[in-house]
Amino acid sequence: MQSTSLTLDNVTVRMGQNTILDSISLSVPQGSFTCLLGPSGCGKTTLLRAIAGFAPLESGDMAIDAVSIAALPPEKRQTAMVFQSYALWPHMSVAENLAYPLKLRGIDRASRARKVARILDLLDLAEFGARSVASLSGGQRQRIALGRALVIDPPILLLDEPLSNLDAAIRRNLRSELRQLQRQLGITTIMVTHDQEEALSMADTIVLMRSGKIAQVAAPEALYAAPVDIDAARFMGVENFITTDSGEMGVASDAACFGFRSMSASICLHPLAGHLNRKAVVIDSAYAGDSYQVLVKSDGELFSARSSTPQLAGAQVILCVPADALIPFGADKNCLIPTDYRTPGRTLS
Amino acid sequence: MSLSNASRVSRSPLQNASHTKWYSVALVAPALAAIVFLFAVPLIRSVVTAFIDADGGWTLENISRAVEFYGRDVVFTIVIAVLSLAVIAAISIAIAGYLTLGSTPWAVAALRWLYRWPLFIPFIVAGQTARSFLARNGLMNSMLMEAGLLEPVAAQSFLDWRGLVMTFAWKQVPFVTLLLAGAMASLDRATIESARNLGANRLRCLFEIVLPQVRPTLFVGLILSLVTIMSVLSVPMMIIAGTPNMMTTMMAHRVTYYGDYAVANALGLFSYLLTALVAWFYLRSTLEKEAGK
Ligand SMILES: Nc1ncnc2c1ncn2[C@@H]1O[C@H](COP(=O)(O)OP(=O)(O)OP(=O)(O)O)[C@@H](O)[C@H]1O
Ligand SMILES: [Mg+2]
Repeated sequence: MQSTSLTLDNVTVRMGQNTILDSISLSVPQGSFTCLLGPSGCGKTTLLRAIAGFAPLESGDMAIDAVSIAALPPEKRQTAMVFQSYALWPHMSVAENLAYPLKLRGIDRASRARKVARILDLLDLAEFGARSVASLSGGQRQRIALGRALVIDPPILLLDEPLSNLDAAIRRNLRSELRQLQRQLGITTIMVTHDQEEALSMADTIVLMRSGKIAQVAAPEALYAAPVDIDAARFMGVENFITTDSGEMGVASDAACFGFRSMSASICLHPLAGHLNRKAVVIDSAYAGDSYQVLVKSDGELFSARSSTPQLAGAQVILCVPADALIPFGADKNCLIPTDYRTPGRTLS
Repeated sequence: MSLSNASRVSRSPLQNASHTKWYSVALVAPALAAIVFLFAVPLIRSVVTAFIDADGGWTLENISRAVEFYGRDVVFTIVIAVLSLAVIAAISIAIAGYLTLGSTPWAVAALRWLYRWPLFIPFIVAGQTARSFLARNGLMNSMLMEAGLLEPVAAQSFLDWRGLVMTFAWKQVPFVTLLLAGAMASLDRATIESARNLGANRLRCLFEIVLPQVRPTLFVGLILSLVTIMSVLSVPMMIIAGTPNMMTTMMAHRVTYYGDYAVANALGLFSYLLTALVAWFYLRSTLEKEAGK
């Protein structure tokens, strides 16, 4: 298995009048698992299609192992893509679907059969070879689509929301299976998702995209703890933003505002040391499984927090957020946590 | 309460059922009558006439006379039809394939605009145009001579079986292409892209991914073209003088010169049989496919 690195250099893609990708530069190290994360319509699929050769570049360059692929047609690029809709060939059986990429490479019938059998084993679908693809369940089709991409030992694997059509249980299963398989084979992988939990749990590096641009490239922990700006923070599940009065509590900072997630904020009766404390009135309280999600109002602003007990609407309480859960943002809306913490520093195991 | 409600609701359609049945029969009656009187009755009549002699008795005489007089024309018709369909299939696949997989936008747009024109030209005009284009000193030969590709002495008329095949193809290719390109456009594009992504060039993509998925549409287009080829009278009459010629001209000849409907109908029977045979093969293959699913 050869594994390779991918570099994008100021990749710009335009469709009609719209600039879909705007000067994307990215370096994907060999053997890494990179997630493209971002809201719907931000250009994730387009970036993947550009890498596979289906979206012509307006300008910029892309290279596999420092050899430019920008001018190559899709079939010469050696990138294996798993489409969101699976795109299995309906006129072929499962085994034929898996064998076709090998046939295209001029591999003889006997070794084709051997490789297909091995992949079917790997995917836990050994007895499905003769079945028509129309008769498979969504999860099985997903695995066949993955197998069809893996059977050619691709240097680069591109996955477009491969798990989004599946129900939660299968998704969790496949998530770890996919990650294991990727580690085991050491394939450089780029996966599109708009599910932040999926990106956080699978990726070595997350590329956060926003309207055709890269907003942030970071390891999952860094992205979670220090989103680059307020919009990125919102996307990463930071629901609350609070403006500070200077000198309030122990959090000395020149931040214009702090962001925090509701699950790190709690409802107390008395101010706590080492916390940001705010007097607030309970607006609403709803059961959320392990605790209660409480909506409170303070100084005319709404915040949400967690509480282990239900709160009565109208009750006077204190909103407490531990200092280390606060993410400081400057007046320009950018995160004040130093940038070197945000760059991907995690080494690959 | 909900139970009694349900039963009350379900009763009314039952009460109305016979009423509704008559109503729908009345609605469909005009169409049904048109089919019976305009298509089914004449068809059955012409088939029956092929087996009836001058005195009104049953006979196979007409059939054997048709074979004896026109056997060569029947074979000629079959050969022309097969050749034409092969040419039509090849060109339609090429055009529709380029429309689907072509990567030069202006070329695709130009082709899309151009290829349909023959659809709007009547067969008789096509026959007339073919005559002046394919004759010994027609437009095609003069163009070839002007381009230096043809010696004047070597010029020959194409107004024979070749002209017939060319004219049928020219007239039917747009129709089959229209069907085929439509079917290809409605394929899931991702199936094409995934094939290219995994290493199929455009040609292999066309023959191994696109075409197998639109094969039924291609068959429908070719069967309808066969029926057209079997029924056009003007083109073979204008392009070919003498025999052998298509069955249609022979039938027309039999009727206009001899008033011999019986033998003409026997010839017609061969046309039905030929198209029915092809249609049967098509239906069988689609049914097999349905059953396989
Ligand atoms: N063929 C096209 N012509 C014009 N605009 C397009 C075309 N394809 C996509 N776009 C636009 O490009 C933008 C990015 O689309 P893309 O499919 O890459 O989004 P995405 O990030 O994958 O979104 P999602 O998460 O919903 O799949 C969208 O605004 C979309 O409208
Ligand atoms: Mg997408």
